[in-house]
Amino acid sequence: MTGLQRDPVRWAWGLGALVVLGWSLAGAGLFSAPVLNGAGTRQFGRFAAAALSPATDGAFLGVLADSVLVTVAYATLGAALAVGLGAVGAVAVARTTWGRRRLGWALARGALAVPRGLHEAVWGLLLVNLLGLDPWVGVLAIGLPYGAVTAKVFADLLDEVPRGPYDALLATGAGPVPAALYGLLPAASGGLLSYSFYRLECAVRSAVVLGLIGAGGLGYQLSLSFSSLRWPQVWSCVYALSALCVLAVVAGRAVRRRVADPRPAGGRLRRDPLLTGAVLATLAAVGWSWWYLAVSPATLVADRTGAQLRYVLAAAWPPDVDGPLLSAVAAAAVDTVQMSVIAIAVATVGAVLLAGVAAHPVRPSPGRRVTGAVVRSGLLLLRAVPPPVWALVLLFVLLPGILPGALALGVYTLGVLGRLAAEATEELDPRPRAALTALGAGPVAGWLYGVLPAASGPVLAYALYRWEVAIRDTVLVGLLGAGGLGALLASRLAVFDWGAVTTLLAALVLLTAAVDLVSARARAALR
Amino acid sequence: MVGASGAGKSTLLAVANGSVPATAGTVEVLGADPGALAGRALRQLRARVGTVHQHLELVGPLRVVHNVNAGRLPAWPAWRAAVSLLRPQGLPEVLAALTQVELADRVYERTDRLSGGQRQRVAVARVLVQRPELVLADEPASALDPVLADRTMTLLAGTGSALVASLHDPALALRHCTRVVGLAAGRVVLDSPAAALSPADLAAFYSR
Repeated sequence: MTGLQRDPVRWAWGLGALVVLGWSLAGAGLFSAPVLNGAGTRQFGRFAAAALSPATDGAFLGVLADSVLVTVAYATLGAALAVGLGAVGAVAVARTTWGRRRLGWALARGALAVPRGLHEAVWGLLLVNLLGLDPWVGVLAIGLPYGAVTAKVFADLLDEVPRGPYDALLATGAGPVPAALYGLLPAASGGLLSYSFYRLECAVRSAVVLGLIGAGGLGYQLSLSFSSLRWPQVWSCVYALSALCVLAVVAGRAVRRRVADPRPAGGRLRRDPLLTGAVLATLAAVGWSWWYLAVSPATLVADRTGAQLRYVLAAAWPPDVDGPLLSAVAAAAVDTVQMSVIAIAVATVGAVLLAGVAAHPVRPSPGRRVTGAVVRSGLLLLRAVPPPVWALVLLFVLLPGILPGALALGVYTLGVLGRLAAEATEELDPRPRAALTALGAGPVAGWLYGVLPAASGPVLAYALYRWEVAIRDTVLVGLLGAGGLGALLASRLAVFDWGAVTTLLAALVLLTAAVDLVSARARAALR
Repeated sequence: MVGASGAGKSTLLAVANGSVPATAGTVEVLGADPGALAGRALRQLRARVGTVHQHLELVGPLRVVHNVNAGRLPAWPAWRAAVSLLRPQGLPEVLAALTQVELADRVYERTDRLSGGQRQRVAVARVLVQRPELVLADEPASALDPVLADRTMTLLAGTGSALVASLHDPALALRHCTRVVGLAAGRVVLDSPAAALSPADLAAFYSR
């Protein structure tokens, strides 16, 4: 008999993660300085109490409806652009395309890191300098970074499909493209469609974030109401935002279910009305958004845009590399990493604990149904509110610093990760768990033995993936004084110090790429 | 239990362990009706019934020791189940069961790294540590070579519990069972002591 062998690589990763978490918490001042702000409790109480009495007067609701339409239009066009770019990009960065040519694959992946490493808000601030106040700013600010992320995820989905059928088709002499169409794409299609609708949901939130920095829509309204301390209006905005997210989730879920479990077609070729409807409705929404925002391709090729681009590029090169700036960048980078680590730790622990409850059960009891619905709406609320708004809320009860920013990102990421973890739980083969129930195991034991071992891999992989996203999101909360690279970038952009901006953007991209690398290694060790 | 595929063998076994509610008639398993019980009472009944599922339904990412220990989940409080995932509990019984199925050297292997026949034996070992009063086995010998199939049936029949198995191979049924029930389209069409049947009788049953 062999002894119980722990995998040393996994243990090293686990231990390393704990050390980094401890370092981050220490950096946030958790062990050395007071973090609670007792003075803000009453304001927080007023804010929380307003949750039950959102503003419902006609004038405000009219403004709100208009903001919702603007946000939806930006989100739709941005997501459509992202899925288009992602589909093309996925082919360019899939392992399947490159085969054994690892250098080419690594370079293609590396190229994606540049647009992906910059947050939508950063793209927005940069594009506003090029295009002026034009609807293209919002569309491109969502579409470009999302396109890069979508390309990466699409490529991963294609690469994770079991290779057996694809190899078998290649062995029968099929070309790589038909083999991929028959052997890879059908198995990945559910994931691709599901992810596309997930992106649309994310695009709604990004459109809100862009509103926070001035692009109009719900985010703009939210920041106006927040800064004038009109809590009932803030909550109306939050509920409108949540309703939008619910719509995206419900639509995405309906489409995903239908893809996974198609209607029996029998002998007739019949198009599924739901899937056809979803595709047509999305196309119609794209056309409407184009009209509603009055997007004009002329702006992109206007002389002024070209001149501005040339001016900015000339001013941005060479990057600023003097000593004080570099040391400030290094310190800000450390803050950024620590914030993201705390955020991911909070989100992962929460997501693992809540995933089982948030997942739709196979045969629900009434009580279980209610708890599930409550937890799911809670998670929805967490991810419907953009992290900067959570940071403002947390500043009622916490002293300024890294911690409120980190926790704001943490609760927001918990909303996202909790949903992903619940979906991962739902997609597990239910039979091993059913077998445990059949032999008399209780619900907790059944979860521990039947769900946790199978779900922890995908959930940790999601968490590591979200870590990269969290790094980018720290920039956003940084704009509000939580520190890190975001605050530094905002101050340099405000004075048009383009040389320093180049340095900061490079630092951001490098940091994201480094996190990407570490997270990929960690995920490989998990498998 | 013998019968063509689709005759209702697996459904009957699922009704017996309470996974599938009966749509008509009465069910009595070890003196109780699983359809009439819920919560703890149902779990207590289920703990007395062990099942070897047709597709085994083991948890792939878990080590063998935990999949075997899963047979004791109804007897363990939740905290003990959790602790056992970090530091396996009740190792002697697990090793005894795995020794019986000749798999003691793989106790800490991940279950999805085992071959189909080895996984089958893990499923049997789970039932051995569960010590149920009734063992239900759904096609326990499918996907096994004849020697292993015989050995598995011997193990299941030798647990000291009553064994209800659905089998495709008539010879296996005659060698290991005392009673043969034939199902067709959800109905009992044959019920006879095994000793009174010849392989030719069963061959005739299958060709009906």
